[in-house]
Amino acid sequence: MNDINQTSHLTCYNVEGGFDVGRVRQDFPILGRQIHGKPLVYFDSGASAQKPRSVIDAMTEVLEAQYTNVHRGAHYLSQTLTDRYEGVRGTIARLLNAPHEDNVVITRNATESINLVAATYGRTNLRAGDGIVISAMEHHANIVPWQLLRDELGIDLQVAPIDDRGVLDLDAYSTLLDQGTKLVAMTHCSNVLGSFTPAKDIIRLAHERGIPVLLDGSQAVVHSAIDVQDLDVDFYVFTGHKLYGPTAIGVLYGKADLLAKMPPYQGGGEMIDVVTFEKTTFKEPPYRFEAGTPPIVEAIGLGTAIDYVASIGMDKISKYEQALLAYATERLLAMPDIRLFGTAPEKAAILSFIQEGIHPFDTAATLDRFGVAVRVGQHCAEPLMARLGVDGTLRASLAMYNTMDEIDIMIEALERARKLFG
Amino acid sequence: MADLSQYQEYVEALDLLDEEGRFEYIIDIGKRADKIPFPADCMDDDHMMHGCMSKVWIIHEIESDRHYFRGQSDAIIVKGLVTMMTTSFSGLTISELGLLTLDHVRGLNLGALTMQRQVGMMAMLKHMQKLSRQADLAAAGD
Repeated sequence: MNDINQTSHLTCYNVEGGFDVGRVRQDFPILGRQIHGKPLVYFDSGASAQKPRSVIDAMTEVLEAQYTNVHRGAHYLSQTLTDRYEGVRGTIARLLNAPHEDNVVITRNATESINLVAATYGRTNLRAGDGIVISAMEHHANIVPWQLLRDELGIDLQVAPIDDRGVLDLDAYSTLLDQGTKLVAMTHCSNVLGSFTPAKDIIRLAHERGIPVLLDGSQAVVHSAIDVQDLDVDFYVFTGHKLYGPTAIGVLYGKADLLAKMPPYQGGGEMIDVVTFEKTTFKEPPYRFEAGTPPIVEAIGLGTAIDYVASIGMDKISKYEQALLAYATERLLAMPDIRLFGTAPEKAAILSFIQEGIHPFDTAATLDRFGVAVRVGQHCAEPLMARLGVDGTLRASLAMYNTMDEIDIMIEALERARKLFG
Repeated sequence: MADLSQYQEYVEALDLLDEEGRFEYIIDIGKRADKIPFPADCMDDDHMMHGCMSKVWIIHEIESDRHYFRGQSDAIIVKGLVTMMTTSFSGLTISELGLLTLDHVRGLNLGALTMQRQVGMMAMLKHMQKLSRQADLAAAGD
């Protein structure tokens, strides 16, 4: 184990409310790793978060002692694992404050959730000339499915602009809504800039015009409490692996009346009611949208991850991450050669930046030598890079297990990069 | 017998260095490569090697059945790597180039710096082999 894991080294980071980052770090086995002889500083949680011991153990337990298929078979293993798997739907519903677990569709990831809505709600409800509004800071996952639908149906894809801080231009958004818009699909938190979008205003303005709203919560759900009923959002999607869960598991929340009217996404087992060669009838939501054997072990891993986050408390996590964000922002802005992108007043602990005069790849390679893992490139958001006027950025995406000492290590590495390349 | 003397020089120099030393060695090669200007009109889509995190351009010439390459990148480290690859494997015939494999990339012992860089260097080698094959085919068609 590296010295960053020693609780005595970390107690000063505890914030009001008793968040103990030392204890949190002990729950993540990978944080004990050394990279190039130095303690791992994992600042790439926005790409995929590390997994706590409880998630690893839960998935191992299922595979070792409980594994079988779910929703079939009268035998003991199938019944008990089906109960456990279906229990996760309730866990997800509680995370989102969904009215009922039937509002929760289990998918492979947020990308599939968005594609599902595009293929079912979109194909059923949109016609040539209708518009979909997205924002200028979408992940490709919330651009390309709508482009495919645009090309198929002849609809318009309209882009709500952002200002230089990375804040959505609500006036421009509002104007776009009056141009034949039939659906809004927007990020709840930018994966590049960290900006939270004003979800309640976005939804209110859309609903005033009878337009449903999908929010991509892949980043937001990691950094803030989500209440889909309070938001009154129509669809909410997120992926499991950024929320300390495994890969290949995602979520689509949908309002019951919308889900009920949507046709199936894929055909196969699990989603059917009665099958004959002449005709097939389908189950009610959410099962109608879950063809084939579901990601059983991954779902249980995600449920365990949600329980883990809940055991700490999103309010404490969020407060701690905001302290990290403030410190990292202050340290980065104190460096003469750092250009920081994204200074929205409401933002998650995601910092995109470049070192002036140094290629982001060279900076990232230097950080790697210090054991600091950041992402470099376009972050699946090429249109946003064009808006920012850069080919790519470095992105330090922080999580509950990061520390201010680690931010100091990153700053030291950036100073080294300046000496090597500046 | 292929002349791989420049490649051997790199292998021997890198062998004497620790990981940090190798990192700085690549940067040094990248910085020194800037002293030999790369033709600006060749930093275009036609000469770009796609699929890299940074931009990489490789130009190719054929002279007396031997293939010569020069590389450029907008990132210093990648410029160092592409310079090592192009200088290591210039002056070879098409059949000599065809015999180069991942083992030659591994021989530089840069994998420890990161696997991704080794993968990138293998992609550079494959790109150089493709350029040389295309040039040979074009020459045969003339």
